[in-house]
Amino acid sequence: MPLFLIIYIRSYNRHKKNHLLEKQHMQQKFEAEILQARIEVQDQTMQTIATELHDNIGQLLSLTTLTLNSVNINDSEKAEKKISDSLSFINKSIRELRELAKLLHGEQVVENGIGYALDQEVNWLSKTGAYEIEVNNSLVDLIEKSPDKDLIILRLLQEIINNIIKHANATAITFNAYYEDKTLHLQVKENGIGFNYEQAAAASSGMGLNSIYKRIEMINGKLVLNSSPNHGTNILIEIPYP
Amino acid sequence: MNFFTPIVIAELISLIIALIFLFKDNISFWKVNIAYLIIALSAEARGSYLSAHHRHNVGLFNTFVLFEIAFISYGMYYCLKKYTNPRPVIFTGLGICYSIFIFFTFKNGIHAYNDVFNDNTVSVMSLIFVLYCLYYYYKLLNDDEVLDLKHHPEFWWVNGVLFYYFGGTAINLFYGLFNILIFEHIKLRLFIYYIINIILYSNWIYSYICRAKQRKLLY
Repeated sequence: MPLFLIIYIRSYNRHKKNHLLEKQHMQQKFEAEILQARIEVQDQTMQTIATELHDNIGQLLSLTTLTLNSVNINDSEKAEKKISDSLSFINKSIRELRELAKLLHGEQVVENGIGYALDQEVNWLSKTGAYEIEVNNSLVDLIEKSPDKDLIILRLLQEIINNIIKHANATAITFNAYYEDKTLHLQVKENGIGFNYEQAAAASSGMGLNSIYKRIEMINGKLVLNSSPNHGTNILIEIPYP
Repeated sequence: MNFFTPIVIAELISLIIALIFLFKDNISFWKVNIAYLIIALSAEARGSYLSAHHRHNVGLFNTFVLFEIAFISYGMYYCLKKYTNPRPVIFTGLGICYSIFIFFTFKNGIHAYNDVFNDNTVSVMSLIFVLYCLYYYYKLLNDDEVLDLKHHPEFWWVNGVLFYYFGGTAINLFYGLFNILIFEHIKLRLFIYYIINIILYSNWIYSYICRAKQRKLLY
């Protein structure tokens, strides 16, 4: 009996050791994923800043230069209007720059909570004017926080939005986000062209579905995707939180 | 009767190995092992000598039991203290063992100290030590730290204790059953007793080697 007991203890200990190694491996994988997500978020932020500077602030400042160049001091009435327009362009540029400064604090997006990050993403999307957007976001007042998970959720959301922009041809997008029973619920619904889920899942490259599922798995979440050609796509996400 | 019984030989080898590997150890428990082995060897050798000369050795072994209780309890205290505060458990065990020893010594009569072996104390002591071992394993398995048991000195020391006292309890419980002759002069009971002693000292020798290796890695 003592011999069996000792054999059992040794095998249990070996099992415990393997389990610990596996846990460490998972933790390393999770940390690597967080790091990757952080880099991707930074990358995306940089792209957004470049686009904003080039397409928005750059244009506004060019317009200001043009307007100011065309000012004829002798024609005081027109000059006054042009100067006033220039001032409004400059004010708009300052506002845009402030928004950009906020974006530069990439981490701040998630530091203020996932609700705030979701709002930022939706604001950004609505600025394009290409979509009719409906948002029901009750996560802004969420007290619970999990910065690591937030970063992955944000990246997940960005991936979904990117897919909609690139592939969906949608005209309306609905975002629903709420917290219930220690679970964070996210729903993204659009009226685009939809797709055949089986075909998309089988393709190794493409819409980044694998990356979305991988991220969901990392945070022990659940994703339900309903889509069919010409009937849009509805994505439901449930994540244990915090 | 031969003076060099298997037990004496096992204890002698243990003592030599303990002297080689533990003499420079700075943890008192491991050094106390040397002292205990000297006492055990002296008691066993003296017991064999007395037996060989057809003289009573029961008093000697009765006295030795007192050292045995103290040493094994101290060893278990040392092994358990990494996981819990073992004082209440160990002191309770010590209290029970010594109380029974005193009770039966007086019950049998002081004059019979050299004639009647205090087997009640040994039975209870063996049971308590087996329970200590199980408690140690329980704590070891529930601990967050994963140890390399193959080279863990305390684990092998406790293994020796478990084998010896579990075997000892079995012998005490089935005393009559093991009273048959298997060799010309050796009863099954004595034979099992030799075996469990060899297992005990083999485990302890291995634990001393592991301890020396561990010390080398640590310092």
